[in-house]
Amino acid sequence: MQVRVLFFGRVREIVGRAEDSIELASGARIEELFARYRELHPALAAYRPSLVASRNQEFAPWTAPLASGDEVAFLPPVSGG
Amino acid sequence: MTPAAEDTIQLVHEPIDTVALAASVRAPEDGAVATFDGCARNHSRGRATLYLEYEAYEAMALAKMQEICIELHSRFAIHGVAMVHRLGRLEIGETSVFIAVSAPHRAPALDACRFAIDTLKRTVPIWKKEYFADGADWADGELPPLPAETPSRKAAS
Repeated sequence: MQVRVLFFGRVREIVGRAEDSIELASGARIEELFARYRELHPALAAYRPSLVASRNQEFAPWTAPLASGDEVAFLPPVSGG
Repeated sequence: MTPAAEDTIQLVHEPIDTVALAASVRAPEDGAVATFDGCARNHSRGRATLYLEYEAYEAMALAKMQEICIELHSRFAIHGVAMVHRLGRLEIGETSVFIAVSAPHRAPALDACRFAIDTLKRTVPIWKKEYFADGADWADGELPPLPAETPSRKAAS
């Protein structure tokens, strides 16, 4: 299955792009998706404790299972205002 | 419960017209308009800031701002809300976020305005990068509250 992945702030800078599309095994969880990018970009590992995940524009637990067409983002601590 | 029809929720890339926004929530039945004007500060943790850059997960940020607006109407006896955040490069002194809340009486207007900016800073996916004379860094942010481990499924759209 295909999911869309968005990167913001420091995570976008580490990954070097704002958006990606990736093929995952059916039923994969957000944590497994993050692990794929952590392998490609080891610098992400240090920031994992300070990230929250979103799935289809809602905050989601790392254990949330993904479905084809989902939009996932790894969000650094927010600093609007 | 949905936001009142006249509520304004926006992300903009141009300077925010704070006077027009404050006026937009004012109606004859209101006795108070409380506003919060968040502006780009020239220092951060002892370093002189040259300018700021904001970016957002725009679709989700607007959805979260809508949620705040709905919550304001359900928690406080208010009338109108305007909530606008600017993105892109901001010079020192410029307004980054502006919130205006009108109400028949001052207490709900003030309380709702405070609740709105506090919640925005904790839950809306917007990020600030601070540029200094000797480099740049992402501002320390707040970790949004983590959802429960058993979420309800929401279909992809």
